[in-house]
Amino acid sequence: MLGILRRLLGDRPSGQIARKRMQFVLMHDRVDITPDMLEAVKNDIIKVLSRYMEIDNRSIKVDLEQGKDFMALISNVQVKRVYRHASSI
Amino acid sequence: MAGKTIVVTSGKGGVGKTTTVANLGTTLAKKKYSVVMIDTDIGLRNLDVVMGLENRIVYNLVDIIEGKCRKEQAMIRDRKIPNLFMIPAAQTREKNSITPEQMKELCSTLAAEFDYVMIDCPAGIEQGFKNAIAGAETALVVTTPEVSAIRDADRVIGLLEAAMLKHISLIINRLNAKMVKKGDMMSTEDIISLLSVPLLGVVPESDEVVVSTNRGVPLVHDRSSKAGAAFRRMAARLNGEENLPLDGDGSHGFFGRMKRLIWN
Repeated sequence: MLGILRRLLGDRPSGQIARKRMQFVLMHDRVDITPDMLEAVKNDIIKVLSRYMEIDNRSIKVDLEQGKDFMALISNVQVKRVYRHASSI
Repeated sequence: MAGKTIVVTSGKGGVGKTTTVANLGTTLAKKKYSVVMIDTDIGLRNLDVVMGLENRIVYNLVDIIEGKCRKEQAMIRDRKIPNLFMIPAAQTREKNSITPEQMKELCSTLAAEFDYVMIDCPAGIEQGFKNAIAGAETALVVTTPEVSAIRDADRVIGLLEAAMLKHISLIINRLNAKMVKKGDMMSTEDIISLLSVPLLGVVPESDEVVVSTNRGVPLVHDRSSKAGAAFRRMAARLNGEENLPLDGDGSHGFFGRMKRLIWN
């Protein structure tokens, strides 16, 4: 009864609140990425992309961004040219 | 013959590690597998009282490691099941009286003789935790549907993955189906999606657990106990008996009861 009343007043059930809070907390706890690791990720991205296109190795950037309830890895790469027949590799 | 080495861990204290070890160990032993349970919580041992074996202790884990006794001398046989043994932790020693390497060696020796080696891990993520997981191939992470337990479970899962354990699965303890229905408790699905590890089973919240620890007789001996039934199903799943329905939220109502009748 109390629950229904609370919900009518626009209160979310506490289980849902807990879930949302945990999504956020765990994401933060898990982001234990060292600069070394980010550098390794960057080098791997360069390696993979280089199979298909010529890229500017110096311009590549890899960053983690925290959204409201998501985390994103954002990478900006300048492409110089795409190899022909790249799709057949 | 190489048995399975399984560590039961959680990060947070008081979520039911020891109860889980006692009940899974007892169930597997009842199925005629040879089982040895090791309490690695040095200084704060409890598996002995949960199993009702506290007044039979002579030697302990540290004595085996330090060579003060043969391992057979420290293994206490269960009162009811002859193929179930327990190695108690030392009560008056420090966590660093043993090393991960020594635990690894002991676990592999025991795995050569037993079908199941169940390791009861202390709370925390320090030395005691490192000792407990060193000799294990499989980890069961116990959590309750509370934010603090889930957060700690997530930390522990990260550490287990870093330690390259082969199998990690989740046990949700003390789920209150009524509260989940009302929306006032995170559901099994919520917890799985947060922790992203496969689920071994769900234990409903139950007063029977306190009664069974009061008596020093594991719940699974009681055929009518719902929580005991949950542990029995988990043991079956652990034993590779696949396709058993998962319990918890789904086991209510007519069909749930039918399923329970069939599977138990």
